[in-house]
Amino acid sequence: MSPLEFLADHTYRTVFIGVSIIGLVSGALGSFAYLRKQSLISDVISHAALPGTLLAFLAAATVWQGDGRNMLGLIIGAVLIGTLAVGYANQISRGSKIRIDTAMAIALTVFFGAGMLLMRIIANGPFPGKGGIQDYLFGNASVMTRADVVTSALVGGAALAIMLLFFKEFVLRTFDAHYATVLGYRAATVDTLLFTVIVIATVIGVKAVGLVLMVAFLITPPAAARQWTRSMPAMVALSAVIGAVGSCLGAYLSIAFVPVPTGPLIVLTLFAIFVLSLLAAPGRSVVLRAVKHARARRLLMRELDTVAVEGRAS
Amino acid sequence: MNGTEPRQQIACRARNLSVAYGGDPVLRAVDLEVPAGVVMGIVGPNGAGKSTLIKAMLGLVTPLTGHSEFFGLPFAKARKRVGYMPQSTTVDWDFPTTVLDVVTMGTYASLGWLRRPGAGQRDQAVQALEQVGMAQLAARQIGELSGGQRQRVFLARALVQAPELYFMDEPFQGIDAKSQQAIVQVLHRLRQTGRTVVIVHHDLATVADYCDQVTLLNRSVVASGPVARVFTRPNIRTAYEVASSEMEFLEFAP
Repeated sequence: MSPLEFLADHTYRTVFIGVSIIGLVSGALGSFAYLRKQSLISDVISHAALPGTLLAFLAAATVWQGDGRNMLGLIIGAVLIGTLAVGYANQISRGSKIRIDTAMAIALTVFFGAGMLLMRIIANGPFPGKGGIQDYLFGNASVMTRADVVTSALVGGAALAIMLLFFKEFVLRTFDAHYATVLGYRAATVDTLLFTVIVIATVIGVKAVGLVLMVAFLITPPAAARQWTRSMPAMVALSAVIGAVGSCLGAYLSIAFVPVPTGPLIVLTLFAIFVLSLLAAPGRSVVLRAVKHARARRLLMRELDTVAVEGRAS
Repeated sequence: MNGTEPRQQIACRARNLSVAYGGDPVLRAVDLEVPAGVVMGIVGPNGAGKSTLIKAMLGLVTPLTGHSEFFGLPFAKARKRVGYMPQSTTVDWDFPTTVLDVVTMGTYASLGWLRRPGAGQRDQAVQALEQVGMAQLAARQIGELSGGQRQRVFLARALVQAPELYFMDEPFQGIDAKSQQAIVQVLHRLRQTGRTVVIVHHDLATVADYCDQVTLLNRSVVASGPVARVFTRPNIRTAYEVASSEMEFLEFAP
C-alpha cells in the first residue's frame, strides 16, 4: 500500500494522527522523567492507569448509564489513579529507607493487581460495552475513533502547554532540586505540575498502545534525543519529533505491509531510532568513542616504544 | 523602629537548631550568630553536621527544634538577599545544558514564576562568569568541565544573584590550584565589599587565611567567634576528639 492510499483511508488516517499525537506528547514529556532518573515512573503510571480506567468504566456504566469506553472518562480515571500511584511511590521512598526503584515496583504491582481484580469483576458482570476493556492491556490502535483523537489532541495539547509555560521551573527542579527550593520554587508545587503532565502523557496512549508498552513511548525517544542534543529545549523538541515520526512510521509499516498490531511495531521503530542514535550520534556515539579510544591507545603505545628504544640506544 | 539597630549587625542567626535523620540527632541545639561583613568558617570533622546546619538554616531540612533568621527575617522573606552554593557533587553533570544556562539560574530568584530570563539576565550571568575567570567557557557543555570548573560555575551562579549573604558548602573540595585561586580571589572581593560569607570548610590549615570568624562544630557548637579567640588548640582538640598527644595534628593552630 502506498503512503497516499494509506492516508486516503479514513480508519488508517485516524490511527495515523492518533498515534502521532501520542508519540509527540509522550516524547516531549518523557525527557523530564528520563533526566530525573525516574524512567520507570511511566510504567508505574500506565499500570496504575488500568484500575483508573476500569473504575471510570464502572462509574460511567453504572452511575451515568453511558459508554464506559469514552476516552475522556478513561483519561480522567487514569490520571487520578496514576497520580495517586506516583505520589504513593514517592512517599514510600521519602518517608522510609526504601529506594525509589523498589517503591516504584511495589506501587506498580499493587495497582496493577487491583486492576486485574477489577477487570475480572467487570468481565463477570452485566455491563454493556465491556467487550473492549481487555484492549487496555496491550492496546488496539484500530479501535480509536475520531472523538478519541480529538480528546487526545486537546488533553495532550494542554499537557504540552503546561510544560512550555513552566519550562524554566521544570528544568531548574530537574537539574538541581535543592537549589530550586532555596530560590523559592516550592518542591511540591513544581513536582505536582510536572508529574501531572507526565501522567497525562502516559495515559493518553493506554487505549491505543496498551499499558504494557506505553513506557517505551516516554523513554526511548528522550534516550535517543539525548545522544544528538546539547540543551534542554533541543532535547525536548527532538524527543517529541522522534516520538511523532517513529509512531507515524510504525503505524504505516504495521498497516501497509503485514497486518500486525500497531503499538508493538511503533516500539520496534523507536528502538531502531534509538540504536541508530547510540551508534551514530557525534560526540556520544559508542562506535566513534571506541575507535577514538583505540587510536589514542595505539599512538601512545608507539610513542612509549620509541622512547624505550631511544632510551636503550643512548 | 525598635530593635533594628543591633539586628542590622547580625546577618543571620540560628537559634536552638536541632536536626535528626531518623533517630540520633545530627545537630543538637545549635546557636549561631554571623555578624554582617565577616567570612565565617564552619569547621569540624566528617559527620559533624556542617552541611546539615546550612541546609537546615535554608529550609532544605526540617529542623526538630529551633529556627533561623536572616537580617531579622524568616528565610522565606529574605531569600533574594541570600545566595547558596551547594556541593557540586549534588547534581548530574551529564545534564544537557551549558555553563551559561546554569549560571543564569541564579537570576531565577528575582525573576519568579513564569517569567523567562532574557538578554539582561544573560549579561549578568556573563559578568558573574568573568568574576570566576570562566567567561570564555560560557557556551561549553557542563559535562566537559573539570571538578574545579564545576565549583566555579556554582560560585558564579550564586554571584549572579548579587546577594548580601552567601552560604558556600565546601567550595574548595577536590579542586585544582587555578580554581582554588579564582575562588579565593572572589572570597576576598566579597569581604572587601562588605558581604557576609558562611563557608563550610574542611582544610584546617587555611582557616586563618580565609576566615575572619570560625565556628567549630561537632553535632553541637564547640566554640564560635573571631579566629584569634576561638581557633585554639584546646577547642580544635575538643571538636575533632583527638588526644593531646597527637600534637602534629594541631601544629597550624596558634
